Amino acid sequence: MPDERTLGAPADPGPGGSGAARVLVALYAVFALAAGSRAGVQLATRFDEAPLAYLLSALAAVVYLVATVALARGPAGRRVALVAITVELVGVLVVGTLSLADAAAFPDETVWSGYGRGYLYVPLVLPVLGLSVLLRRRSDRPAQR
Amino acid sequence: MILALVVAATVVAALLVVAGLASTLARRRIGLVHLALAGVLEAVLLVQAALALAGMDGDTPADAPTFLGYLSGVVLIPVAGVLWARSEVTRWAGSVLAVAGASVGVMVWRLLELWEATGA
Repeated sequence: MPDERTLGAPADPGPGGSGAARVLVALYAVFALAAGSRAGVQLATRFDEAPLAYLLSALAAVVYLVATVALARGPAGRRVALVAITVELVGVLVVGTLSLADAAAFPDETVWSGYGRGYLYVPLVLPVLGLSVLLRRRSDRPAQR
Repeated sequence: MILALVVAATVVAALLVVAGLASTLARRRIGLVHLALAGVLEAVLLVQAALALAGMDGDTPADAPTFLGYLSGVVLIPVAGVLWARSEVTRWAGSVLAVAGASVGVMVWRLLELWEATGA
């Protein structure tokens, strides 16, 4: 059927509930790339201007990378993903608050500054989505380890 | 950086987002429509990148490392999105491309901003 070639063949149903997690992996991969390149540039070109902010950028990039890999591994990476995403949520809340309260310590933007306002607040929404997907996955399959 | 190409990339990226979400809603894998849109998007990005590289000098853009970081990232995203979406057999293949399209749509404007920023 030419229609299938053009518009795409009907999809396999796939394992239930895994789709949202797959989209989440894509989002995390984009943020690992964005935060990673930002941190790399900042650390390489002007580390002494704002060491705290730039080290936090690097930390954010590592957290996104770990979360991306852990989410992509599915159930096997579940515990690592939970830890990474929790760190991420705490990070975005703490850094977001500090960047507003003590702007002098953050002369340059990080991914988490102002709760991620430079990134359309996606950094604030992402960990909430991530935790909800992970916690729902557990209640779906309680017997599986 | 040429504004017309930024707008063109944004329009194609938006179409890719719509096509990707539509195939997820229709419970389909991706088809030639998605591949064509991603191909056009990649072509626009490559032309833009070539013109930007040719037009760089000491003052433009002011923050050259960041600009080059974004530029190399943005041309890789449609390729990575297509490779992943083609191997995805569930209806979420289109959503993966939609994420890629949305990322490109945001990044080209950030690139333009970096290009136009003058050095302090």
